[in-house]
Amino acid sequence: MESRVLKPMLAVYVVAFILFLYGPFFVLGILSFQEGPDGGPQFPITEWSTYWYRQIFGLTPPSRIAPLPVGEALIRSLILAFMTMVTSTVLGVMSAQAFRRKFRGSGFVFYLIVLGMMVPGVLTGLGTSLLANNVFDITRHWYTTAFATHVAYTFPFAFLVMLAILNRFDGSVEEAAWSLGVSPWKTFRKVTFPLIFPGVLSAMLFAFTLSFDEFPRSLFAAGGSEDQTLPLAIYGTFSVEIHPNIFAFGVLTTLFSFALLSVYGILMGLSVRRARKLAMQEEIA
Amino acid sequence: MTTQTAIFRIDGVTKSYGGVKALDSVTLEAGVNEYLSLLGPSGSGKTTLLRVIAGFEVPDSGRVFFQGRDITNLPAHERGIGFVFQNFALFPHLTVRQNIAFGMANGAVPVSAQETAQRTQAMIDMVGLTGMEDRGVDQISGGQRQRVALARTLVMQPKLVLLDEPLGALDANLRGRMRNELRAIRERMGVTFLHVTGSETEALAMGDSVVVLDRGRIIQRGAPDDVYSTPASPDVAHFLNRFNLFDGTLVDGKFTGAFGTVASPKATRAPRDVYAIRYDRLRVMPVSTAAKGPALKATYIANEYLGSSVMNFFEAADGKVVEVEHHLSLGAPETYEPRQDYLLTWAADQAIVFGREGK
Repeated sequence: MESRVLKPMLAVYVVAFILFLYGPFFVLGILSFQEGPDGGPQFPITEWSTYWYRQIFGLTPPSRIAPLPVGEALIRSLILAFMTMVTSTVLGVMSAQAFRRKFRGSGFVFYLIVLGMMVPGVLTGLGTSLLANNVFDITRHWYTTAFATHVAYTFPFAFLVMLAILNRFDGSVEEAAWSLGVSPWKTFRKVTFPLIFPGVLSAMLFAFTLSFDEFPRSLFAAGGSEDQTLPLAIYGTFSVEIHPNIFAFGVLTTLFSFALLSVYGILMGLSVRRARKLAMQEEIA
Repeated sequence: MTTQTAIFRIDGVTKSYGGVKALDSVTLEAGVNEYLSLLGPSGSGKTTLLRVIAGFEVPDSGRVFFQGRDITNLPAHERGIGFVFQNFALFPHLTVRQNIAFGMANGAVPVSAQETAQRTQAMIDMVGLTGMEDRGVDQISGGQRQRVALARTLVMQPKLVLLDEPLGALDANLRGRMRNELRAIRERMGVTFLHVTGSETEALAMGDSVVVLDRGRIIQRGAPDDVYSTPASPDVAHFLNRFNLFDGTLVDGKFTGAFGTVASPKATRAPRDVYAIRYDRLRVMPVSTAAKGPALKATYIANEYLGSSVMNFFEAADGKVVEVEHHLSLGAPETYEPRQDYLLTWAADQAIVFGREGK
């Protein structure tokens, strides 16, 4: 039988896949419990401790290892990711809405938008910084030039998500609202938006996470040390010496991401269950 | 009932999709409180016509008038024309009550909360959805959804309601009930209905007048019984699904077909020569009978029981299937032997003849 060969092979593949996906994180997770401040970022674990977690929050006595300079960078990154998320999602919904009707040059505009996720990030970042410095003569900041590159990068993702959602959207409910004397804008707010909301949620998630850990674009487009985003700040600590406090921080941010994903999953699950109930009722009727 | 004043009129409306004409200079008018059935095969442009009137599509040329006003360029939400969709298009995230109140709650014309609640409840009672108000539209049956769709439209008190095959998604039983309800609503509210349907029985049953559409053109308009008994063209006769149509040639008032040559002095002008005889006008005789009028030898194949009548299928020598309908009110059906030959006859004056030399 085919499955007798195929199934174990697939099982091995899945295990390998999960190993590659989560293995590094798992190792980092273990090393984050290394003893401090003398323990290094390698095996063996000399002694289990939560020293490095406490160190991040400044709960340990001062030592030769400086605390991670992440506090402000984290705030900056969160604000930047939030700004990017809102802007890209709004743009994504609006442009996907425009693509529901064919218009002149729609093919060209489509590729123009999608280009943002195709162009290498380093080029975008470098180009933006050159443009800001030499052409427009504006100071680079995380909330100006870096923000612009983040939007250019995440907007196509939000756009594609919304395009897929609106592609399956039955426009007759909107026409029904118009025929009841409801203006197109109000129809969008009261009918279209609630129905495409699961898609909007996905677009927001994409934009937020992509912006939050964006490195190459920020590297050039953000300004000096007062403009470091979290990935830049972490990279900065690498160049001196690596301590397990970075691992501890990695574990914390990952847990934070999982928490976000769980919220997203719950919200999604609720709306999917609604949709499934609807489909089931339709079958019965 | 006054049908003198036209509530809406479309004038030479043409609409093409990628070179294909869905509507070809259609002109149509309906009076106040009239029930107009639009009948046509799929692809005849009947839905496009409704969408142009509703304002969902802009015609390539021609004008649309409603209550004496040119509304050709008016957006759909400013027209005040109701539209009931084939798939109902209810708002899936709202309850029955919210669906029905939607237009009043969100429309450009402000309606007070009290009046909205009052009119919504009255409409819910009228269409028999009392007790279902707070259910989601996914928790009610197909027939109830249909009534929500109708109630949502009627509560806005439009003067014209467009129905796009709204009964198509229902089973035969519900369809009959909804037909009665539509008629009753119209009596009560004084609304002009424009009802698109692909079902000839529905069109004939519902309309004060029937408009037959084919390939983007209106090919006949008249009272249901006129359309039924005197189709204006072979296409209409074909679409009514009540006629055996024979090809042949019409020369000097005589039609020659598989059944012989028959004098046909009152032919209707048409682009091709066709002889039409209604299913229930044929008589089945033993093959040895010496017929006086037109007669066609055919082999009996099978029959189909339709409830109030029996449809018998015969096959002529050239392979053409001829249908003979026997109404059971006229007595029990005769039984025929399969694969046996019979003679089909009819009175020559019962036939409708189309031809190039007709008038």
